[in-house]
Amino acid sequence: MNEDLYWTLVDIANGLLSGVMLGGYYAIIAIGLALTFGVMRMVNLAHGDMLVLAAYLAVLVLQFVPISPFITLALVIPVMFGVGYALQRFLLNAISVQSMERKGMSAGFGLMSPILVTFGLSIVIAHALLGGFASDARIIRNALSYSAVRLTEDLNLSTLRLIFFVIAVAILVALHLFLRRTHAGRAIRASADDAEIAPLMGIATPKINALASGIAIAIAGVAGVMVGMSRTFQPFDGPVFLLVAFGVVIVGGLGSIVGSLVGGVLLGITQVLAGTYFGPSAQLVAGYILILFVLAVRPQGLFARRR
Amino acid sequence: MSISAPEQPALLTVKGLSAYYGESRALYGVGFAVGKGTIHSIVGANGAGKSTLLRAIVGMMNRGRAAHTAGSIEFKGRRIDALPTEEIVGLGVTMVPEGRRLFASMSVEENLVCGAFLPRCRGTLGETLEDVYSLFPRLADRRQQPVSQMSGGEQQMVAIGRALMSSPELILLDELSLGLAPIVVDQIYERIAAINARGVTCIVIEQDTERAMRVAGAVSVLLEGRVVLEGDPDELGRDRVSAAYFGIDSEGQGG
Ligand SMILES: Nc1ncnc2c1ncn2[C@@H]1O[C@H](COP(=O)(O)OP(=O)(O)O)[C@@H](O)[C@H]1O
Ligand SMILES: [Mg+2]
Repeated sequence: MNEDLYWTLVDIANGLLSGVMLGGYYAIIAIGLALTFGVMRMVNLAHGDMLVLAAYLAVLVLQFVPISPFITLALVIPVMFGVGYALQRFLLNAISVQSMERKGMSAGFGLMSPILVTFGLSIVIAHALLGGFASDARIIRNALSYSAVRLTEDLNLSTLRLIFFVIAVAILVALHLFLRRTHAGRAIRASADDAEIAPLMGIATPKINALASGIAIAIAGVAGVMVGMSRTFQPFDGPVFLLVAFGVVIVGGLGSIVGSLVGGVLLGITQVLAGTYFGPSAQLVAGYILILFVLAVRPQGLFARRR
Repeated sequence: MSISAPEQPALLTVKGLSAYYGESRALYGVGFAVGKGTIHSIVGANGAGKSTLLRAIVGMMNRGRAAHTAGSIEFKGRRIDALPTEEIVGLGVTMVPEGRRLFASMSVEENLVCGAFLPRCRGTLGETLEDVYSLFPRLADRRQQPVSQMSGGEQQMVAIGRALMSSPELILLDELSLGLAPIVVDQIYERIAAINARGVTCIVIEQDTERAMRVAGAVSVLLEGRVVLEGDPDELGRDRVSAAYFGIDSEGQGG
C-alpha cells in the first residue's frame, strides 16, 4: 500500500477511535444536565462545579487511604447522590415554576429563579473549594495515565480512555434500563412527560424530582473523578465542564440518553480529527463549529425526543 | 341547596365547595353527594366549572395563590380536601383528565403500568393489566405501540385503563367524548357501564346532556359555578335539565 495513504488511514482510524472514546466521557459529563432539564425543565448552572466537587472529594479520600481512584467511586457516588437529592428536595423544588406560582409569582419568575440560584451555587462551591484546597492545580494520580492498549502496530488506545468509555456505556445502559423497567424510573419519565398529571398515578413529584436530581449528580460525580484522572483541575474549572455538557446536549438533543452518547461521540470525533489535522488549538474551535452547525440546521438536537 | 339524601352513606360528599384561580372564582358553594356504586353525571355548558370541580376533588386545585378551594370534600367519611393528589389517589379516587393527557413518550403498556405506581397496586400489577386488556381488547393488540400513534378513541381507552390501574373505588371522567366520533363514544360509554357494574363508582362529566342523562342514576346541572338542578334524570326530564343547563329561569332551585 502507498505509504502516504496508509498513514492517512492510520490517522483517521486513530482519530475515530479516540474520538469515540472521548465521546463516552463527554456523554457522562452531559447526561446529568440532560436528565435534570428533561424532568424538571431546570438548567443547573452548577453542574460543572458538581464535577469539580466530586474530583476534590476523590482527592480528599486518596489523601487518607491510598486506594485506586476507581474505588473512591464507592464513596463519591452515594455522597453526590445525596447532594443532588438534598439540593432538589430542599432548595430547587422550593423555587420551581409550580412553587413560585403557589407563592403568587409569575411563571417567568419560576423559570428565572433556578438559573440565578444555581449560578450562585456554582460560585459558592468554587469558593468553598478554593478555601479548602487552595488554587493549586490538582490531578488524581493513577497507575494507568501513560498506559495504552495496542490494537495494531500503529493503532493505540489510551487504557484510561478505554476504561472510561466502558464505564460510560455501562452507566448509560443502566440508566436506560432503570428509566424503562422500574416503577421509580417510569415515574421520572411520567413527570418529564406531564408533571401535572403524574400525581394522578400516585407519584409524589417532589420526591421523584429529588431522585432524578440525585441520579444526575451521582453520574456527574463519576464524570468528575474521570475528569480528575485525565487532566488537572482547579476550583474554578466548573464552567469549562458545564460548557462541554451544553455542547453535547445541544448536538444530541435534550432529554435523550442515546442523544447524549451520540452527541458526545460526534463532538469527540470532531475535536480529535480537527486536532490531528489542524493542531491542538483547532480542537475547541471545531467543537464550537459543530455546535453552531447543529443549532442552525436542527436546533432541537439530532436526537431530540418528541414532546 | 338541597342534597338528596341517599339511603346508605354517600361515598363522596361535597359541601359548600368554592374554587378560585388566583382572584377569579370558578365555583360558588357547590354541594352534592355520590352514592356508592352509582354513576353521577355533572352537566353544564363550556366554562361552567365542571373540570374545576373534578380537579378540586382530586386535590389539583391546592396550588396556593395560583388556585385554591374552600368548603369540604369527604371520601368515605374522611376529609380529603387538604390532601395532595397522590394521597387522594392512594385512598382510591382517580380521574381521567380532560384531553386524556397520556404520557406521550411511552407505549400503551408503559402508560398503563404508570397507573399502578402505588405500592399497594404493584403486587397485583399483572392481574390488573390483564383486566384492563380484557376490558379493552384493542389495547391488548397494541401493547408496545407508542400512544402518540393511536387514534383518539384508542387514546381515551388507554387513559381510562391507566386510571383503572390504581384500582380506584371512585373514578372521575372528564369529557370522554371530546373530539371522538359518536360511534366511538358509544363504545366507550358501554365500557364505562361495564366498569361501573364491577362496583366502581363513577362521576361523569359531559357537555352532551342527553348522553349524560342516559348513563347516570343521578345528575347535577352546573351553571356558572353553581349547582342549579339535581336529581334522578328520569324524574327531572330532558326539558328541565336543558333549561337549567342554559340558565333559562323556569326552575326555582339555586341560580
Ligand atoms: N387554569 C385556569 N386559570 C384561570 N382560570 C381558569 C383556569 N381553568 C379554568 N378557568 C376558568 O374557570 C371557569 C371554569 O372552567 P372549567 O372548570 O374548565 O369549565 P368546564 O370544564 O365546565 O368547561 C372558566 O371561567 C374558566 O375560564
Ligand atoms: Mg372542562
